[in-house]
Amino acid sequence: MFKAIVSASTLRDALDSVSVLVDECKIRLNEDELAIRAVDPANVGMVDLALDAAAFESYEADGGVIGVNLSRLEDIAGMANAGDLVHLELDEETRKLHIRIDGLSYTLALIDPDSIRQEPDIPDLDLPATIVLEGNQLDRGIKAADMVSDHIALRVDEDEEAFFIEAEGDTDDVDLELGRDDLIDLAAGPANSLFSLDYLKDMNKAIPGDAEVTVELGEEFPVKLHYEIAEGMGQVTYMLAPRIQSD
Amino acid sequence: MGNADLRELAALSTVSLDDVRGSVVAVDAHNWLYRYLTTTVRWTRDEVYTTADGEEVANLVGLVQGLPRFFEHDITPVFVFDGGVTELKDDEIESRREQKRKAKEKLEEALERGDKIEAARLESQTQRLTTVIQETSRELLDLLDVPYIEAPAEGEAQAAYMARRGDADYVGSEDYDTLLFGAPLTLRGLTSKGDPELMDLDATLEAHGITWEQLVDVGILCGTDFNPGVKGIGPKTALSAVKEHGDLWGVLDARGLHVEFADRIRDLFLDPPVTDEYEYDADIDPDVAAAREYVVDAWEVDPDEVARGFERIEESLVQTGLDRWT
Repeated sequence: MFKAIVSASTLRDALDSVSVLVDECKIRLNEDELAIRAVDPANVGMVDLALDAAAFESYEADGGVIGVNLSRLEDIAGMANAGDLVHLELDEETRKLHIRIDGLSYTLALIDPDSIRQEPDIPDLDLPATIVLEGNQLDRGIKAADMVSDHIALRVDEDEEAFFIEAEGDTDDVDLELGRDDLIDLAAGPANSLFSLDYLKDMNKAIPGDAEVTVELGEEFPVKLHYEIAEGMGQVTYMLAPRIQSD
Repeated sequence: MGNADLRELAALSTVSLDDVRGSVVAVDAHNWLYRYLTTTVRWTRDEVYTTADGEEVANLVGLVQGLPRFFEHDITPVFVFDGGVTELKDDEIESRREQKRKAKEKLEEALERGDKIEAARLESQTQRLTTVIQETSRELLDLLDVPYIEAPAEGEAQAAYMARRGDADYVGSEDYDTLLFGAPLTLRGLTSKGDPELMDLDATLEAHGITWEQLVDVGILCGTDFNPGVKGIGPKTALSAVKEHGDLWGVLDARGLHVEFADRIRDLFLDPPVTDEYEYDADIDPDVAAAREYVVDAWEVDPDEVARGFERIEESLVQTGLDRWT
């Protein structure tokens, strides 16, 4: 059983965070939250999303799992205006999801969850540095890096108490320094890892500019990017595996 | 080559390479290389892989183009090379040689006629694993730190043996014969672009209600690399006959037939010459620069032909997967 009403913008924010990594996913309709966990086919980027029942106008669910084609669902959600409410109801018999938006009715065929890649185990990470910054700042660093390279270094300088976003291209270099004053918060620790910009760019696309992003970082470890949606009632965590740094 | 008749009986399903991520695949090296030779030769100009001395090393192009598929999915290939020729297989090899000689004659005719498409098709049939191909393949695998093993006889048999002992998760081969050699799980189509096919021995036996020995008997009746098979007996007939009469001898008795060396052929599948003396390091750490130098400088392969392959190998090495931390 699943029946819910949610604002179009909340639904879109949630779907966007997952669709940048995968085309299909399983959605867990737990009693107290809607949850998605997915990893891209190359096993490099992962998303872990939870949308609390409180993020919905109304929410009733009993722990079922459905499989969806994300771009289809996003297209439908895209038919709604920002303030519209989206009504979702699962038909257990036909295994279809009925979606209603302001007079528009859509019946979405679901995908057999067993045919979708298994939900990944969450990596066990104990990362020594934590940086909290605005989505806009991260976006600026990623955009600049993308001009010169296809990978990006994220680094914390413990002495300077600063967070660096750096990229080395064949000819040009980019370096964004964010000191303690530029950041919302910083717990400095030994941290320096290299990442593929392709992935980070996609994740960045889903992060709202005004979101507070918590970056957890280590030395040649995956990075964790955490932010909230739906006014704090939704949690998104990305994990991205590093590239091996050449000397 | 094996007998494609077995396809009718084999339990097959499509898997994606992601499904077998992190596994070890014992690859029938000759079979794998041969596929690349026939496709590489068919579609590329021979200048790109022929040295000034006229030595053809299309195998190096094949390796550089084929290995990234393993690396990108975190799959460790262990290449198993054939050892000595199994005595009974001599006929098969002789007839293949004969086929190649004929193809070569036709090729020359086609070239004279100026029929390029036919010539390319025939050219691929004349390919064989020369000593240079044998040696350079091993040397390139060494530089790329990809493990390989020398089988005492059939590479397929050795690969199947390693899989049965649990030292490999899959056998990689296009041959349906891996079923007869007792390979629990075989991946077919590793050399093509799409998803591979998984061939499951237990599921095959279960589907037909027979034992491995009975499947070998079915194979012998249909024909294997070691015997031509009984005229007029296809896989379905062979299967029902073996089920009815219990085993090969029962079928032969009942039908008044004779298969030469039947007991020895049976043994070649059920108890082939294999070795326990193999060790390999699944942690692959290629020297890409040295490999590139070997292929491009030492063997004069057109750099453009292998640039993308080496790039993919490099890329697959620097990007880690999250599973390393779970």
